[in-house]
Amino acid sequence: MAVRIRPCLLAVAFFAAAWVSGASSVPQQVLFNSCSEKVDNSQKSFNCMPCSRTYVADAYLDALTGQLAQHRDLTEVPETADLCKGLDDDLDVPVLSEVHRQLVGEGSHRRLVYSVKFGNCEDDAVKFLDGYAANLVIIEKLPSGVFADPFELQHFVERKVFLDVAVFGDTNLELPSALSNRSAVEIHFDFKPSTTMDCNLVVELPLHARYPPLDSSGYATVEFGSPDLLLHYRKKDTHPDSCIWVSKNLDAEPVDKAVWRVPCGNGAHAGFVSSLTFISALVCSMSVVLAASLIS
Amino acid sequence: MAATTTTLRWRVMAASAALRVALVAYGEWQDAHLEVRYTDVDYLVFSDAAASVAAGGSPFARATYRYSPLLAFLLLPNSLLHPAWGKLIFSAADLLVGLFIDTILRLRGVPEKTRIWSVVAWLFNPFTFTIGTRGNCEPIVCAAVLWVLICLMKGQVLQAAFWYGLIVHFRIYPIIYAVPFVIVLGKNYAGPAGRPILTQWSSKQQLQSDKTSENVEEPTSLLASLWIFLSSLITRNTILFGLFSGSMFFGWTGVFFYLYGWDFLNEALLYHLTRTDPRHNFSIYFYHIYLHHQQGFSSIQKLASFLPQLMVQLALILRFSRDLPFCLFLQTVAFVAFNKVMTAQYFVWFFCLLPLILPWTRMKLRWKGLACMLVWMGSQLHWLMWAYLLEFKGRNVFVQLWVAGLVFLAANTFVMIMVIRHHKYTQLFSVSTKSRSKVAAKKE
Repeated sequence: MAVRIRPCLLAVAFFAAAWVSGASSVPQQVLFNSCSEKVDNSQKSFNCMPCSRTYVADAYLDALTGQLAQHRDLTEVPETADLCKGLDDDLDVPVLSEVHRQLVGEGSHRRLVYSVKFGNCEDDAVKFLDGYAANLVIIEKLPSGVFADPFELQHFVERKVFLDVAVFGDTNLELPSALSNRSAVEIHFDFKPSTTMDCNLVVELPLHARYPPLDSSGYATVEFGSPDLLLHYRKKDTHPDSCIWVSKNLDAEPVDKAVWRVPCGNGAHAGFVSSLTFISALVCSMSVVLAASLIS
Repeated sequence: MAATTTTLRWRVMAASAALRVALVAYGEWQDAHLEVRYTDVDYLVFSDAAASVAAGGSPFARATYRYSPLLAFLLLPNSLLHPAWGKLIFSAADLLVGLFIDTILRLRGVPEKTRIWSVVAWLFNPFTFTIGTRGNCEPIVCAAVLWVLICLMKGQVLQAAFWYGLIVHFRIYPIIYAVPFVIVLGKNYAGPAGRPILTQWSSKQQLQSDKTSENVEEPTSLLASLWIFLSSLITRNTILFGLFSGSMFFGWTGVFFYLYGWDFLNEALLYHLTRTDPRHNFSIYFYHIYLHHQQGFSSIQKLASFLPQLMVQLALILRFSRDLPFCLFLQTVAFVAFNKVMTAQYFVWFFCLLPLILPWTRMKLRWKGLACMLVWMGSQLHWLMWAYLLEFKGRNVFVQLWVAGLVFLAANTFVMIMVIRHHKYTQLFSVSTKSRSKVAAKKE
């Protein structure tokens, strides 16, 4: 399926505008939708960036936390038009047709499993992978109360499960959620080059729950927002300076909701727990003191 | 006969060394092939910190590295030679602890057979051989504490002070031994030859004879006895020990503060002193901390959690400090049990001192010894069951888990009381016969 690529100066302008105004409610899609092309049912947006830029999720995180972004190298890219030049206009990019996301597991350590299907999977995709180095990029903006362990994810990269991974935001592994901030994970998953391309990719992201704030119901509910899926590719042979990021618009077919119930403490217990704790400590310590004093 | 017991001792050491090497090798295999790692997360933290130092940076660049930079320096060969270097070092320290236990008991005249059983109680304790092979640095601390004890027993006060200051810098908890050390180094420390005389082990009951040597004069009042006690603490040895170990501690702290700044002070020192972790652990305080983590803690609450610990430590020191290994053992058990945070690796701190008191206990393995072990391990397993339900099944069992923590504290108290009641109190350093005869002459 042919997809047109246009120079995206507008996208750059939008980035700059969003950051300067510090708009925290800027929908994520705006960052990429500015040069959208309507091709069949799923809208796609493009962006060309210098290949030195490895990650894009940091821009998302600033939108999440409503903070003014630091000056990113993206805004300094003057001639995006030139970067996108020289790329074929009829390019059969693999189209993400179906995306499923499921929270799997029990307890405080679970996995988000993404199942991604590609539409034009057969020869077109194989032809595409011959000429282009491509990988699937999943950006999951983690809700408050859930965190990803960057060291664990690094281990995945070492074992070549992921091509690359980065965690942005609060990566503290120990604090409860009342004392932590949000974070975002960006996973780069390599398309395994083979003659029979795997049409169904499965990506697993291990996550851990923080200790939630107290609630009388005994459980805290953590809901995941919508992830962002992008295709990141560049031409293999000529080692160009530009890398393409194509995002899939998930508004039309939103991803399944993922909800995590985490047990939490009940504030009503505070009274009797504290008093019984101190009383027990006192009783035990006095018993030891007594035993030590009475021994002849 | 001596030759066979010597070969038996070397066989025990060789078998424990082989076991540890095998476990380290197995750990490497499990890490590479199974989802669940054998290696402790802490070991990866140390290795990363060491790699950071090797690259010229600070070990505190690695999140959750909360130890002295000395550990990172020790593990530098992890990135230069082999990642398992650290584990081999810790396992070697483990074996060293076994050797030191043997040395201490031999210096006190414990017969070979009893000694070997005591050493086996450490070397083949499942808690201890897994700790070193999983990459925990606690065996080093245990070895250092025992070496300090050996130095004190041999009269090498300066060397004892050197290692004591160093180990308190490395891991803060040995500071609880400071007062018993000073008490023991007091007036009756050295014999006439300048070296301390160690009370030898005897199979007979020896409760009474050691006590009489202590009561030189009848104290006239509480104030007078307090004054006598305090003045006996001011000797050349205690001052030397205090000053030198203090200088070592502040020296090392100063050097690393100069090198790494506030990062070092906050992570390696202050974190341990002010730690309030709401995450579940064996301590009875975890749920109280979690329930109050959003509003903070009042001074009264902080004091209230410190008071039982202080009372127990004081009582144990005042009552048992002359029987030094026994005092250190009880103090460590109490410190761990009443602490605000308690994790399984802390148990090693008193397991290394347990073999030192075994030859002096009247408790037989059957059935009182076994009862103590079963009560202690059983309450631990009970706690672990609730922790599993909370963490891996996501069930809200906070109250049950907290109660399991109370039960575990009760079990620790039970074991402490049983050990106290069945122990043959024996002073480590006996008063010399010369001073005894002086006392006898005075009385006449």
